[in-house]
Amino acid sequence: MTNFDAVVVGAGHNALVTAAYLARAGRRILVLEARDRVGGAAETADLGGVRIPRLADTVGRLRPSIVKDLDLRSHGLRLVAPDVRVFAPQPDGRAVTLWADQARTVDGLGAWSANDADRYPDFDRLVRALGRFLAELASQTPPDIKAPGLGDALTGLKLGRTFRGLGKHDAHTILRVLPMAVADFVAEAFETDAVRATVAWRGVRHSSLGPWSAGSTAILLGDSAGNDGGAAGQTVFAVGGPGALSESLAGAARAAGAEIRCGARVVAITSRDNRVTGVALAGGEEIDASVVVSGLDPKQTLVELSDPVTIGPSMRWRASNYRTPGVVAKVNLVVDRLPRFTAAGGQDEQLLRGRILAAPGIDAIERAFDAAKYGRVSETPVLEATIPSLVDPSLVEGAPAGTHVLSVSAQYAPYALRDGSWDDAGRADALGDAVVAVLEGLAPGLASSVRAREVITPLDLEREYGLTGGHPLHGEQALDQFFLWRPLLGSGRYRLPIDGLYLCGSGAHPGGGITGQPGQNAAREILADMKRR
Amino acid sequence: MAERYDAVIIGGGHNGLVSAAYLARAGLRTLVLEQRHVLGGAAVTEELFPGFRFSVFSYVVSLLRPEIIRDLQLPRHGLDILPLDGTFTPLRPGDGPRSGGGDYLWRVNDHGRTIRELRRWSKNDAEAYEEYGQLMVEMARFIKPILAITPPDLTSLDPRPLLPLGGLLRTFQQLPERQQAVFVQLMTMSAADFLDQWFETDPLKATMSASGIIGTYLGVRSPGTAYVLLHHYMGEIDGAFRAWGIPKGGTGGVSNAIGNAARALGAEIRTEAPVERILVRDGRAVGVVLAGSGEEIRADVVLSSVDTRRTFLGLLEPGTLDTEFEEQVRRFKFRGSSGKVNLAVDRLPDFTSLPGTGEHLRGAISFSPSIDEMEQAYDDAKYGHFSRKPYVDMIIPTLVDPTMAPPGKHVISCFVQYAPYRLAPELGTWDDQREAFGDAVIDRIAEFAPNIRDSILFRNVQTPLDIERTTGLTEGNIFQGELTLEQLFFNRPVPGYARFRTPVRDLWLCGSSTHPGGGIMGANGRIAALEVLRSLGRKAA
Repeated sequence: MTNFDAVVVGAGHNALVTAAYLARAGRRILVLEARDRVGGAAETADLGGVRIPRLADTVGRLRPSIVKDLDLRSHGLRLVAPDVRVFAPQPDGRAVTLWADQARTVDGLGAWSANDADRYPDFDRLVRALGRFLAELASQTPPDIKAPGLGDALTGLKLGRTFRGLGKHDAHTILRVLPMAVADFVAEAFETDAVRATVAWRGVRHSSLGPWSAGSTAILLGDSAGNDGGAAGQTVFAVGGPGALSESLAGAARAAGAEIRCGARVVAITSRDNRVTGVALAGGEEIDASVVVSGLDPKQTLVELSDPVTIGPSMRWRASNYRTPGVVAKVNLVVDRLPRFTAAGGQDEQLLRGRILAAPGIDAIERAFDAAKYGRVSETPVLEATIPSLVDPSLVEGAPAGTHVLSVSAQYAPYALRDGSWDDAGRADALGDAVVAVLEGLAPGLASSVRAREVITPLDLEREYGLTGGHPLHGEQALDQFFLWRPLLGSGRYRLPIDGLYLCGSGAHPGGGITGQPGQNAAREILADMKRR
Repeated sequence: MAERYDAVIIGGGHNGLVSAAYLARAGLRTLVLEQRHVLGGAAVTEELFPGFRFSVFSYVVSLLRPEIIRDLQLPRHGLDILPLDGTFTPLRPGDGPRSGGGDYLWRVNDHGRTIRELRRWSKNDAEAYEEYGQLMVEMARFIKPILAITPPDLTSLDPRPLLPLGGLLRTFQQLPERQQAVFVQLMTMSAADFLDQWFETDPLKATMSASGIIGTYLGVRSPGTAYVLLHHYMGEIDGAFRAWGIPKGGTGGVSNAIGNAARALGAEIRTEAPVERILVRDGRAVGVVLAGSGEEIRADVVLSSVDTRRTFLGLLEPGTLDTEFEEQVRRFKFRGSSGKVNLAVDRLPDFTSLPGTGEHLRGAISFSPSIDEMEQAYDDAKYGHFSRKPYVDMIIPTLVDPTMAPPGKHVISCFVQYAPYRLAPELGTWDDQREAFGDAVIDRIAEFAPNIRDSILFRNVQTPLDIERTTGLTEGNIFQGELTLEQLFFNRPVPGYARFRTPVRDLWLCGSSTHPGGGIMGANGRIAALEVLRSLGRKAA
């Protein structure tokens, strides 16, 4: 049997990024994916005869350096960015629309409030400036506070310089706003509730937080890091759906010599004398490796797959307390005609190309969140939808003219329900109905146009994709699981407590979303350690 | 001819008085100006009802810095802290392992008894409680120095102010990893999430988490509330006195003791002397003008112990400050969230879960049956309503200090949360809702002690609006500004101005709006005074 320098567990986008970087450095890499295909949550699947982005739909946060380093274009990656970033229809038939073009956004905001139109450019500038700093932070490995080395000192200086580069005003601002509730942050610039909610939404997306929760501003700024997103946030599609991104990453990894095995479920990470020795597969097969890189979430990696004795009770206690409160469900719809949103005034063709946001006000989001706190599903969930078939007709090729796919993530739908379970008959369908009802309210006639529908509950996310607690970000991205202490203090530098065991997924700094950043950083650290040996 | 002082201090609250004492102690000719007829600001004792004396706004002291008690020899000046023993959490019929009249959770200072009580609820929690307590004392020991340092400005190029942080970082590095991790969690987590890691008993978690939300506009599930849990352990490590206590003669007793100390050290204190304006000449504060009389008082330095907003937007001539700074002051969040209900009663409350007038009434009585009810109380407030089922922290001072009421009668102090300063439009103003709020509090208490209704001789309801009107605390925030992460340490009250200085030369802040925040702690007043003395090149004596 061949011997590998490193075994990568899971073939989600971060794991593939790590595998590709390691393989390009001449290491022999084996990637083991439990499912029958690569990509994890970045997947394009079939529904009702067309192709849909099954979980994630946009890839706007993918780091450009990764596209460049791994030459993903030559492996088939094509990206499309519509002019419109966000279309937020309101119950009163009006809409807040954020465009790639700042001036165009300002124009539209004027209809809501002169103040908001006036303040938008400054706010956009601030978000970009702070986002640039966070992008710098995100691309660095957090310093080692226990035994600071020269590298850490340099990182420290570099960050110090970037920090000072912000200038006194922005430097003061970032220290003040990072731990802030995003509702307060947006209120410092905007007076219109609809505008506030449209901008603030990204501060709570995929998190078990409401806009009034402290730390949500850090998430908003992190989402704007390194992608020119600004106040509007990015909206970019991969032609062929997110699965195409995964395929291009897998292509790059294979081209560099990595071997990828699908249908190979890792059931244990083996170790001896606090050093990894390899992995064991469901079939009983054991594969030796002195380096194991986990693309799975940290809880599953440490609590389910690692040897409890090696980990020790204290670390196991900490790892089992790592918070993974999933609150997101996914509803995919195939419709036989393009929805007509009342607020789009006939401009649907153009306005529906970006992210469509149903979050009518800060308190509306907060109330939807309240339900989740008590283990209930919001009756009127906050929705973020896209219609990728508008920018990428290839998804609906061969289907009758007018067919479109709607990719909807619904929040808040807690993984942990107070009464009953997601397996109860009708539970998932009730959520699907609630989602369609919200959409129908904004786009009358949509309900009757649905040809196919699938509801993916947080429990499905855990079972089918191995996301503990159904958390799409591999764990809550709050201030207590952040930077130096993501996933856990002392394990924030991609090295887990067992020698040779690494974490390269969204559970590592800088966290979740399709960025590839944790994978890129982890690869850098792993190669550094390999050289030292 | 205007009188002339070395230092004049606006506001005779506990922080203003502490500053005065330290300045006078260093030989400065110091004058304190208090608008009301009584000293103490929010720490006052008043006879609201013939024969019954109340700590009208505040109720307990747990944080008063021991170095202040020592430096100012407060016991000699009448400070006498009477220990409150334990926390009693009553439950309703049917709740808890014990049936009948409902159960209760009663923790006392006697560790062994508390552990036995907890074991009744959960063996795990009893074990975790020991470990948790030790851990928190370790944490408190580590965090304590922060209360005594002047926050650095991270953006300044001058490294000297950063040195204390460096020391802190080194101590942090020496902590075992698990403690480091717990510290990070304390700074960032919600009280409920933090406690979930150790405990399963709902009333225990709810009662402990309550200390994380007092005075804030946050819920027990809001990130940033875990930190306040630490404060409960500060007192324990000081060893100066018990973690929780009430001053003899009410919280006004603390203010009077500090006032007496200040006078003894040579400070002059004038009551019913409201300041109308701070005099500024060529960018320096040179004194104050009193309201009404228009009397001018000159001083080399002016210290304001009133909150940031009133100091900068109320007491300065418009145009004194640049608009950017004023904008940041406006941004500083107050959002009073608590109220107070003071009761005079002819008999003690009788709890269905533990009838009779036993020891359990001598400590804090916490109406916090479950995490959900605590959080729901917050949900009401988020949308501008006072809590239908509020969290109530009840104290019966007369059981430890009978002088507060006629023989056989009692005063009851109820700290209540939540009562948001800004009510939803449909509710009108607090003047419309005051009594409805008071009724909600009585109803809440009656759920657990039905006899409260017929025992009331007199009821005084303090809404956030009342607190603002009487004490001048903006929006009725008892901490002179929310204690949220973005308003602590080097961000308090305004980034770049966390070192008690202000943009106006010789004008200083010394109240709870500054680091380290509110509570009857006195640290603000002390550190501010020391900074002033340093700037004058004077020794603290």
